[in-house]
Amino acid sequence: MKRIQRAAILVTLAENLRARGSWCGETHIQKGAYLLQELLGVPLELEYCLYKHGPFSFDLSDELTSLRADKIFDQEKQPYPYGPKLKPGEMAQKARELSPKTLAKYGQHVTFIADNLGDNDVKALERLATALYVTREGISGDDIDARAARLHEFKPHVPLDEARHAVERLDKLREESEMLLAA
Amino acid sequence: MAKEFHELRDPIHVFIRMDSDERNVLNSRPFQRLRHIHQLALTSLVYPGATHMRFEHCLGVMELADRVYGVITSPGNLHKDVRDIIPENDDKKRYWRKALRMAALCHDLGHLPFSHAAEKELLPPEWNHERLTVDIIRCDEMREIWDAMTPPLKTEDIVKLAVGEKELSKFEQATYSPWESILAEIITGDSFGVDRIDYLLRDSYHAGVAYGKFDHYRLIDTLRILPKKIETTTSTDIELNGDVSDDEQGALLGIDEGGIHSAEALLLARYFMYTQLYFHPVRRIYDIHLKEFLKLWLPEGGFPVNVEKHLEITDNEVTVGFLAASRDPSTAGHIPARRLVQREHLRLLSQRNPDDVKRNPEAARIIYEAACKEFGSESVQIDVYRQKSSESPRFPVLKGDGRIVWSDEESEILGSKLPILVIESVYVSREKLTAAQKWLAKKREALLDVSIEEDI
Repeated sequence: MKRIQRAAILVTLAENLRARGSWCGETHIQKGAYLLQELLGVPLELEYCLYKHGPFSFDLSDELTSLRADKIFDQEKQPYPYGPKLKPGEMAQKARELSPKTLAKYGQHVTFIADNLGDNDVKALERLATALYVTREGISGDDIDARAARLHEFKPHVPLDEARHAVERLDKLREESEMLLAA
Repeated sequence: MAKEFHELRDPIHVFIRMDSDERNVLNSRPFQRLRHIHQLALTSLVYPGATHMRFEHCLGVMELADRVYGVITSPGNLHKDVRDIIPENDDKKRYWRKALRMAALCHDLGHLPFSHAAEKELLPPEWNHERLTVDIIRCDEMREIWDAMTPPLKTEDIVKLAVGEKELSKFEQATYSPWESILAEIITGDSFGVDRIDYLLRDSYHAGVAYGKFDHYRLIDTLRILPKKIETTTSTDIELNGDVSDDEQGALLGIDEGGIHSAEALLLARYFMYTQLYFHPVRRIYDIHLKEFLKLWLPEGGFPVNVEKHLEITDNEVTVGFLAASRDPSTAGHIPARRLVQREHLRLLSQRNPDDVKRNPEAARIIYEAACKEFGSESVQIDVYRQKSSESPRFPVLKGDGRIVWSDEESEILGSKLPILVIESVYVSREKLTAAQKWLAKKREALLDVSIEEDI
């Protein structure tokens, strides 16, 4: 996927998240893009690793900075200790205009993610994305408790019952996404 | 009686003191190799004074790390909410000071010949100089040094502090305590990492550009460990959704408000050093030619990641290689070697500018592809660098009334958007430059106004 096409998807994701009341900081874009790529198969070509708050792409973090240089993204600063909110910049529309086929193909995927993550705080996003990470890892199989235990192992600050809840929520999203992908 | 402490003269820090354990590291093969790795690659072809080596930079980083450690752990400088992350026991404090100094000394052991110039495309995927650094710190030769110390230093502690959580997480699972995070930040931190402080001062000094100088004495004196979590009732929305996770019990390296002007000077110094020195277009094209040469000249087209093989190759071997290749047309890499040695580097045709980007954010790539078609891809090059997220840091500032605020709230200079650095340059061979300039002047608008035909 070309850089401008990825930019069009990311900025549309931000716009959709914000429209659903999301805080839309970098964590929201990070986890939204992770689910777009790994749950729905949108080829963003971002490399993720498990970092402090779950799956994180340093490539994406750098890309968001350079998209601010291109004015495709902009940010709203927030008081300490919170990170800035992200919003479409003055060149966002240009990015979309240059990527009509991409948006036609993946627009529904973006809407699906925004519908499901729009009202999530960073804690919920961290847990959900880590649940997907441990599921994709495959070590714990499909068993909910085993995956919850693995999530807890990676993120000890997430209690087991909440880890289990995150895995169950992920499984529900997987089911719903299959319908979207089959359509 | 043998000396316990040793002193080295340094043009930036005057004296650098080290103990016998540190001198053993200095005398090791991996560290001595840094005497033959230029800090700024081929920059001396543009700025003749910039011939300094990684060796002295690493000594400087150790010296500065030690000064920072002294300031931030001084009882009078400790914020009440972070006291519990600092070891209480004096032995532990001494241990961590030593680990920090060692990590600072070793933080660049994995650098390839000519430092960053050729790193990206010449190592296997998921490898970089930090990963090589980790392997060297863990190699038998270095472990013997750590084990022989009293008390022995844990190899993994040195690894963690030398490369930092962000880099280590890229290739292995890494969990840092808040204390370890702060210590790693002293060396590798985006805002006040002493790696950065030393290279700005040192590169500026050797290159003869004044832009990199700032009052680092004052800056270091005002560094503080500040809590990430604060009592706030600013907004329910922020409480619920703000971009801070629930394990943020840690701390960040920030400053007392008295240091804000020296922090501003540091960030401005960095900005000007990048624009004037590191991103000089001729310097950048020499990096590209060096990379072209290495791809053709190195066996298998890349550098080895085996520690022993890594230690065998320095700038010297590569320099001998390109000097020889430049004289012999039958040698692999002859053309890029000649570009380096005979100053036949490509010339700048086009640089990123706001008008082009506004018309089409893909301007540079479009111009590059069209120029390749027109003049042949062997005569055209593109250079793209986009500022990393870590290079636009904000940091906490402790106000006189006890509040903690972000640096860009406190300082109008830091809040007023220093430009995000992006390079998008297209180069063309010297003999085709005039024709290419005329061609671009005629075609520029038409090229940029065409919408991209996507292939998805």
